[in-house]
Amino acid sequence: MFLEIENINKSFGDESVVIDLNVSLEQHKTLSILGKSGCGKTTMLKIIAGLVVPDSGSLSLDGRSMLEVEPAKRNIVYLYQEDLLFPHLNVFENIAFGLRIKKIGNVIVKSQVEEMIANLELEGQADKMPHQLSGGQRQRVSFGRAIITNPSLLLLDEPFGSLDAGTRKNMQGLFRRLAEKFSITSLFVTHDLKEAILMGDEIAMMESGNLKVYKDKMAFVEDSNTGVKEELTFWKEMMG
Amino acid sequence: MSKLKSIALWAYVVAIMFPFFFLLLLSLSSDWRYPALLPEYFGLKNWVQVVGTESGLAYSFFISLVISLSVAVTATLSGFFISRYVSYHKKKGLLTMLTYFPYILAPVVFGACLSYYFLRIGIFGTTAGVIIAQFIIAFPYALIFFSSFWNEKIKNYENLVSTLGGNRWTTFTKVLLPMAKGLMMVCFFQTFLISWFEYGLTSIIGVGKVQTLTIKVFLFIKEANFYYGAMSCCLLIIPPVVLIYINKRFVFNKLI
Repeated sequence: MFLEIENINKSFGDESVVIDLNVSLEQHKTLSILGKSGCGKTTMLKIIAGLVVPDSGSLSLDGRSMLEVEPAKRNIVYLYQEDLLFPHLNVFENIAFGLRIKKIGNVIVKSQVEEMIANLELEGQADKMPHQLSGGQRQRVSFGRAIITNPSLLLLDEPFGSLDAGTRKNMQGLFRRLAEKFSITSLFVTHDLKEAILMGDEIAMMESGNLKVYKDKMAFVEDSNTGVKEELTFWKEMMG
Repeated sequence: MSKLKSIALWAYVVAIMFPFFFLLLLSLSSDWRYPALLPEYFGLKNWVQVVGTESGLAYSFFISLVISLSVAVTATLSGFFISRYVSYHKKKGLLTMLTYFPYILAPVVFGACLSYYFLRIGIFGTTAGVIIAQFIIAFPYALIFFSSFWNEKIKNYENLVSTLGGNRWTTFTKVLLPMAKGLMMVCFFQTFLISWFEYGLTSIIGVGKVQTLTIKVFLFIKEANFYYGAMSCCLLIIPPVVLIYINKRFVFNKLI
């Protein structure tokens, strides 16, 4: 498998936050992870990104052990719920940020950023500053800034959590298109049941530090802990 | 009603501006004794003497600038970087409490406490000694000032840059320093003013050998030399006015 995580544990003091984490994921696939606040999903993503050191376990990406590799050299980008656009840079420079770090030439940067802006459906916004954009536009720039660096793995921590329902739906569609076009491998964390089902090629649920990966979406639907059955019953009763 | 408002506004402006105008008037006067309504001499005599060396005001102005710029630059830069360390430290509360320590004592008492150590290392009565003493006052201010900058969001920015492939240098030069530019300008301005108007600590550590402009003002007032006192006050006002203009022009407008 492209991503292999085995027996990772993490505690803060007496509190176990991630317990015996095991995940396998094929390249170019998205694993969506459903979990409530405080279930340990952010810590899990930070461990994978190298921002938090686990107490035990192993992590490999494309056959290469990652735990000893510093975050900057993992080629794993971690996206927060907040877009975290750099307020002093315009849209173009925000998207170009990762390429500038890698000291890629201006001509290539220009063509790649312009292409990305088109893919993000942000034509005509290149010179705008972050405060001039809407929530959805900001999140698009944030995606573009991450994807343009061609990361091996993209970690998304409730990226649409702060968006309204309509924008959220558009962004879900956009992410699916981008994931396919750029062959992205990603872990997509959300607390929204529908979003978890829509966004992932595979699906998992995290509860009190334990991650359960389902063999397919039907298994996820059938599990009474996921809340899908409750939701279905609710809507059936509503419809009479 | 609007006429009344206009009069009140003008009265307010006059009340604010009058002391500055009067200082300027005094600095251009000499031999102005009661009950004369106007001074016997009115001209640039006092200011010409500043250019010369008789009063030592030009030198005081220069040495004050050197001291205040040194203090402001070092306190702002070190305050920015060290406040990050303090803010992310496990014992942030304790370290922050220690930051307030220099302000518990009056500057004169604090200066007296420091003087022993300054004597031992041979910087008592020197410009370097005054810079270090003022830095000890200005640096905690900068630490406290920047502590609000370092928060969870900034930490997330740092992490983001790191996962995008940036190292520590990139994080500071491309993200943190540009984001903190406005705050750094304000901190520079504030620490400059702390140093520029500092009297108690400077008079003890400088022991009369380091005569900053503020020390000079007090000397002239003690000597009842109002004309030179007024002139040194005018000089004292110039750098803060320049800094206020720079801050207003380039910082506050952008912050707001």
